Amino acid sequence: MTLAMLVLPLLGAAAAAFAPGRLAVAGALASALATFGVAAFLSGAGAVSVAWLPALGIDVTLDPFGVRGVLATTAALTMIPVVLTAGRQAPAQRRTYLTALLLMHATLNGVFLATDLVLMYVFWEATLLPSLFLLGTFGGPGRRGAVTKYLVYAITGSFLMLASILALVPASGAASYAFADLLPAARALDPVVQTWLFAGFAAAFAVKLPLFPLHAWLIDFHRQNPPSGVADVAGTLYKVGGFGFFAWAIPLLPDGAAAFQPFLLALAAATALWGGLAATRQEDLKSMLAYMSLSHMGVVALGVFSLTPVGLTGAMFLLAAQMLSTGALFLLAGMLHARTGQYGFAHYGGLAKSAPALAAVTLFALFAAIGVPGLSNFPGEFLALAGGFAASPWLGGVAALGSVVAAGVYGVNTYQRLFQGPPGERRADLGPAEILVVAPLIAGILWLGLAPAPQLERIDASAAVATTLAAPPPTPLALQGDAR
Amino acid sequence: MIAPPDGLVLGGVAPALALLVAAATALILGTVRADARQGGAVALLGLVASAVFAVRNLVDPGAHGATFGVQWVVDGPSAGLSIAILVGTFLAVLLSWDAPVARVGDRPEFYPLVLLAAAGGVAMVHAGDFVVLLLGLEILSLSVYALSAWRTGVREGEEAGMKYFLLGAFASAILIYGVALTYGATGAFDFGAIGAALAAGAPGPLALLGGAFVLVGLGFKVAFAPFHQWAPDVYTGAPTPVTAFMSVVVKVAAFGALLRVARDAWPATVPSLDLMLAVLVALTLVVGNLGALLQSGAKRMLGYSAVAHAGYLGLAVLAAGQGAASPTTVVWYLLAYTFMNLGAFAVTHLVMHDDPQGDRIEAWQGLGARKPGLAVAMTLFLFSLAGFPPLAGFFGKALAVRAAFEAGWSALAVLALLAAVVAVVYYTRFVFAMWFARAPRAGEVAASDAARWAIGLAAAGTVAMGLFPDVWYALVEGAGVVAALTP
Repeated sequence: MTLAMLVLPLLGAAAAAFAPGRLAVAGALASALATFGVAAFLSGAGAVSVAWLPALGIDVTLDPFGVRGVLATTAALTMIPVVLTAGRQAPAQRRTYLTALLLMHATLNGVFLATDLVLMYVFWEATLLPSLFLLGTFGGPGRRGAVTKYLVYAITGSFLMLASILALVPASGAASYAFADLLPAARALDPVVQTWLFAGFAAAFAVKLPLFPLHAWLIDFHRQNPPSGVADVAGTLYKVGGFGFFAWAIPLLPDGAAAFQPFLLALAAATALWGGLAATRQEDLKSMLAYMSLSHMGVVALGVFSLTPVGLTGAMFLLAAQMLSTGALFLLAGMLHARTGQYGFAHYGGLAKSAPALAAVTLFALFAAIGVPGLSNFPGEFLALAGGFAASPWLGGVAALGSVVAAGVYGVNTYQRLFQGPPGERRADLGPAEILVVAPLIAGILWLGLAPAPQLERIDASAAVATTLAAPPPTPLALQGDAR
Repeated sequence: MIAPPDGLVLGGVAPALALLVAAATALILGTVRADARQGGAVALLGLVASAVFAVRNLVDPGAHGATFGVQWVVDGPSAGLSIAILVGTFLAVLLSWDAPVARVGDRPEFYPLVLLAAAGGVAMVHAGDFVVLLLGLEILSLSVYALSAWRTGVREGEEAGMKYFLLGAFASAILIYGVALTYGATGAFDFGAIGAALAAGAPGPLALLGGAFVLVGLGFKVAFAPFHQWAPDVYTGAPTPVTAFMSVVVKVAAFGALLRVARDAWPATVPSLDLMLAVLVALTLVVGNLGALLQSGAKRMLGYSAVAHAGYLGLAVLAAGQGAASPTTVVWYLLAYTFMNLGAFAVTHLVMHDDPQGDRIEAWQGLGARKPGLAVAMTLFLFSLAGFPPLAGFFGKALAVRAAFEAGWSALAVLALLAAVVAVVYYTRFVFAMWFARAPRAGEVAASDAARWAIGLAAAGTVAMGLFPDVWYALVEGAGVVAALTP
């Protein structure tokens, strides 16, 4: 079943690329729905393992345990509206769009589920190509610069991570690249070696997170992406940096993480504050959303680098919640753009009169994004900030200022400037197809917001692995044999 | 001295013999009837026959050993490298099938020269001593000098041939001088005996100087910086099918020889030579990648990229020479390199139509819209060269860097990966031009069936080696499928 998380999107991508006419869209949609169907039952699924490069100890191993399954499920839910929206593109673009999106989904699932470090890296790199392709083919006039910037940032980080991955096994003497083999061996490494290796991983994860000052690619990426919002949502899907710290760098190299903690916490707080303040000053919706999501990622980072179980759990939950809330907002921005051809706030106003349903749904998604209790982001944001306060009250305070206070300002501002005020030109309200698009995301926002406990428990199980920092290595079997 | 089992003598050298027979046949046919197609057909047949023998050498452990005393070694790496040479030659012959270089009716020597060069390369990778190594090197080099100057009357073509010949002859002289000094210091030509003599006591200055000269001589052939200057010029000036051929076959042969010398003749007891190799590798990585970044033409870019890849291969040779990594790492990388580099040159050949200015980046704009199949293949080759998973080039670079970490060259390994970031920029510039430029350039790109086959096979190899890296690794590593199948 776990393997289906890879196979189904790949089948969908093949259908989107080769099936005739509308069948291409139907195939893509069927694969997205089936992937979500499988993902919903992932918590009971076991790991699968297929030998790949045994001579070097590299296997295809996928495990939906804990946070891996939660993030894969949320991503699968987010893919449904993404595929629905992309299926409504002009026929000339539809195939390319759907194929790239489903390939992205397959590789993203690979990043989340892989428990072999080399396999994770393979998927990590593979997520790059579809997003670059979408941006480069359908993006705005400055797309060349945006693509190059994104590529250089991402690749520099990835290759430094590759250096750490390749050095990890010879340095630690682990039997393979499997997480279970690496864990005891890597933790036993000398703290200085751990610090160097952690730096390599941090380079890759911090770029994708993204952490101030490595965030410049993110803003250009969103500004230049095609207007439908699809590519932006797919882009937010693979904000896998936080997950990488949580699932790999911190558990494997706890001493390295501890050495970097003060520095990374400060950057996290700076990201949350800078993103939040910049979001209040934006003149168009898409730039505002870009900075808003940057600010959220700062809170995610704060939770992760608190290295406390509470903070780590909250950060991962926020990551899942953010896929839904920011995803909904980017798609709504695309719908607004389809009505007026504009993102600028100056072109809107009074939409609540002519398009009440659009206004209500947007307000709902904004509330979710700024962390209103009862909606998806609140539990994660609360726990991540709590972890941050426990690690450093000062930096926790700075981050809270950025995320909570600024969020109120830009949230209210955005709603006011788009929907309140004197009614301008009449705009069409949400159509049935558009309601269908946002419905899964609204359901997801309510699901995570009203009943967060099951998912938090799943994440907690992973956080327990990540935070047993000073745990003694498990007793080797040979010793037990000797004791007889 | 290892006594060869019965029947081994001819079995071990059969891949080279098949090539020589095919070369002679093609030459005779060419003098009787000047039809380039016949020469090409004979070349393809000869390559297939040679490959059959080489595969037998690879999968049958009973064929492994040393023939003619210790001069001709048959083992996993040598058979694997022979196959890489044969694959590269086969694809280059396909590529030249309809190219103007092969159509010149009054010069039927083209395919015989290609086959002779391949035979020389096969001899080099099987060499167990310096005599066979030098014989193979000269057979290979003389053939390639002639091929690189094939476009007579074109200034770049003549310059390429002249430059390659003069510098190549100089490098051969240095190599021979190094062999002579090594013989003077150790009294032996064969690698095992040299290794034993060097391991017996502290190597004297004579042996070190000899080793250094050998390294410089081979370093020229593999295009290590600072002995790389010929590469971009010769690659640009030679006809593109020839460039494709020499960029892989000469490299495989020379790295095969370097691997054997580093592993057998210079045991880990000669750290000075390791240090020298490490310095060359570092320099090569920096010069190759930065050089490629500054090029505007695809052919020159690929020329510098070949220099850059020599750096990664050098890293693997360094580790293998110290016993930290298996030689299979080098062999694996070289077959991967054969597929992706030959593929990239093949597409360049079609885009250029042998117009010297035709490979500028403008010529690539909008190729994705005009020729999507060709553009997809080129994208695969460039991404593989850049080291994106899951393509062949990723495992090549990963294996090399991992080997460097195992050998303790951590700084060099990190440098290699940082240099690879630069590589991503120059390779993707061409990918962006193909896909993201909205003004398609007028002008048709005609691809013959043979060239299509060459590109298709190279693309299949690039993808297959990335998705199933274990198959080739297990074959070369020596377990062998025959041994695995027989209980």
